[in-house]
Amino acid sequence: MKTPVTVLTGFLGAGKTTLMNRVLTEQHGQRIAVVENEFGEIGIDHELVINAEEEIFEMNNGCICCTVRGDLIRILGNLMKRRDRFDHILIETTGLADPGPVVQTFFVDDDIKEKLSVNAVVTLVDAKHILEHLDDSDEAKEQIAFADVILLNKCDLVDTADLDRLEARLKAMNGMARIHRTTNAEIEIPKVLDVGGFNLDHALAQDPQFLEPEYPFEWGGIFRLPAGPAEITATINPDPIMRLVVLPVAAADEDALAAARETAVRAFSERDDVAAAPSGSTLAADGALRELVLQDGPMRWTLDLPREGCYAVFTEHYPEELAMEIKAAGQTVAAAPAAAYKPDHEHDESVTSVGLKADGECDGEKLSRWLGQLVREQGTDIFRMKGVFAVRGQDKRIVFQGVHMLLDSKPGEPWGGRPRRSSLVFIGRHLDREALNRGFRTCLA
Amino acid sequence: MPGLTGQPAAESYLGTTQRHVLDDYALDARWSSDGTHLAALPSQGHPAVLDATGALVAELPAHRGGNSSLAWHPSQPVLATVGQDAVLRLHAAPFGRQTREIALASGWCERVAWNPDGRRLAVTCGRRVLVLDAGSGEVQATFDDHRSTVTDLAWNPSRDDQFAAVCDGGAKIWRLGKKAPCAHFDWGGASLLVTWSPDGRWVVTGDQTPSVHLYDTGRKTPLHIQGFESKVKCFAWSDRGERLATGGGSVITLWPCTGPKGPDGATPIQLAGHLGEVLAMDFFPGRPVLASGGADGLVLLWLPLQHSGPALLAKSDAEITAVRWNPHAYVMAYTTSAGEVATGTLRTKETTESQN
Repeated sequence: MKTPVTVLTGFLGAGKTTLMNRVLTEQHGQRIAVVENEFGEIGIDHELVINAEEEIFEMNNGCICCTVRGDLIRILGNLMKRRDRFDHILIETTGLADPGPVVQTFFVDDDIKEKLSVNAVVTLVDAKHILEHLDDSDEAKEQIAFADVILLNKCDLVDTADLDRLEARLKAMNGMARIHRTTNAEIEIPKVLDVGGFNLDHALAQDPQFLEPEYPFEWGGIFRLPAGPAEITATINPDPIMRLVVLPVAAADEDALAAARETAVRAFSERDDVAAAPSGSTLAADGALRELVLQDGPMRWTLDLPREGCYAVFTEHYPEELAMEIKAAGQTVAAAPAAAYKPDHEHDESVTSVGLKADGECDGEKLSRWLGQLVREQGTDIFRMKGVFAVRGQDKRIVFQGVHMLLDSKPGEPWGGRPRRSSLVFIGRHLDREALNRGFRTCLA
Repeated sequence: MPGLTGQPAAESYLGTTQRHVLDDYALDARWSSDGTHLAALPSQGHPAVLDATGALVAELPAHRGGNSSLAWHPSQPVLATVGQDAVLRLHAAPFGRQTREIALASGWCERVAWNPDGRRLAVTCGRRVLVLDAGSGEVQATFDDHRSTVTDLAWNPSRDDQFAAVCDGGAKIWRLGKKAPCAHFDWGGASLLVTWSPDGRWVVTGDQTPSVHLYDTGRKTPLHIQGFESKVKCFAWSDRGERLATGGGSVITLWPCTGPKGPDGATPIQLAGHLGEVLAMDFFPGRPVLASGGADGLVLLWLPLQHSGPALLAKSDAEITAVRWNPHAYVMAYTTSAGEVATGTLRTKETTESQN
């Protein structure tokens, strides 16, 4: 039985020490060894606190994927030579630490790998100040990208709407992590220490659109409209502008909406010469991208329709965010069908997560070849990978995880009578969902 | 060495006489230079001093937080121990009552080593190496030009003022009185262990990766040996440094270290017999006879130049963490991860006849 290890990360001032003190003082029934980031050793009651200075071992001339933490190898090696074993080991990293080498230590060093396993990376996020770091700090991004659990801390200092936006942004970066909102790092300790392995259903519960691709718009729908002028009205302005595309489609059904969606994606990718449309102006249903200029109070645009038919409309925000309606002959027209889309996030487009799933079985050999090639070519940009595969010929689930170029898999629970399916998640920079999905599909048996 | 008695291979050639159980995992055991005492170091709890038969003489004070390293004076019955409390303790006979404590600094002390004439002690404390006058206990020199923790050190057996410290991507060689290192071997990775050949020629490091670096100090040309099954955690030198035994998996490799190129281009001898990783080795004093201990709990005896298979010396349920020959008798001590310290006499024609 391997001793579980929790890695605690978080930017400076996020509340790591507060959480650490909670873990050390609360009655949770576990004997815990804590590795902090200073030198020396002190004991607190029946717990053990070891201080360590972060020390990087670069292997193979600095290859990022072979970089491990020398201090942890030494300290954990020492801990494993104690008869009074611990139930759990908690490692606190410095605010500026890259979690990569910490996690890789558990993949690379044979002695550590044999006796210890990373149960979870827990990242504390200062809800009040994280935005100051998120755009320009690689460390802050990586700490979020590596997390299995994110504690959105200091929630008392931020209003709910801002918390919702921040949480959405964190989910876009790491769709795999469980997010808990906390104040003063107050959380039930099992939610930090007893974190199970990767669970796609949990990721989907957090974000039902987790497996879907991201789009440059949040909403799309088809309207049946008569020839002549129609009206687009709105009364709320969440942003100074909102981008929109209107185009004719052949029918009011899902296939037509899907086809129009692809046309709209291309239109939304046009960044140059986008026509600004202030309230009162007239729009054509020509598939071109337009920027509605939003203002306080009632707004109204005229939609000039040459003929009766079906028209698809794609908007950057949900219509209800603007109290937007489309009217013909003074009557509000409902969209049918309509769909909400997972928006892309311009802030963190470099760090994202991609979830993939497929019913049925994978071919183990193809899967191994694809993953091997993938990490060889993109391992530097892939922070973490986790998945559960149904492999042909294997009665048990194959549970897989990886860090950069390091991969590890082991048999999990038997499938039994449950439907066999595979799912996996990548978190990293510059991930190409379509390419990953294509590659994954080639592995299906 | 006299011939071994004709025991079947499945039986032990080591007649165990005494066993002592330490407070915790046994990190190491060492014989005093005259072979009258054996000191054994647990990871936690009291270091023990045993007599030549393996009977307990004294239990020494434990280092707070854990013990790290022990070393006997090269010619006197004085034992040095260090631990995570940054305290150096010097224990003299009668053991347990003659202890001098020297507080060094904050931070773990990883290793303690006497210099060849026994007048100085070097201790690693974090990123520093402190060299102390063994008589006064005063720090004579501090070597702190290290970017990383010094995880091991070894004095040059042929000089009283030179040692190698493992740090900074390889090893640095320091000389007392010099502010800059005499040499810095940096291979761009990380090393963990160091040993210096008895003839003073080779500095050898065991690395974080499954490899070994040999530095010919006269030429300063490194030799990088790779291909081990796992990290190399133990070395042993034959008496005059002709051969180096390396662990690194279940197979022991014996490298010839003579000639202008040493092991470079030579065919090493490989000794396969352990069923798990080799964790401890020791050459019998003055003879090309090697004892080894492994994660399989076996203590084996090898006559590598005779190309014969190993003989079983002992078997334990726990990993063997150290094997040590008494320098003046056919007596071996070994320790285990369960904290056991066992001593026994090698069954040879000579010892068997003397017992009869």
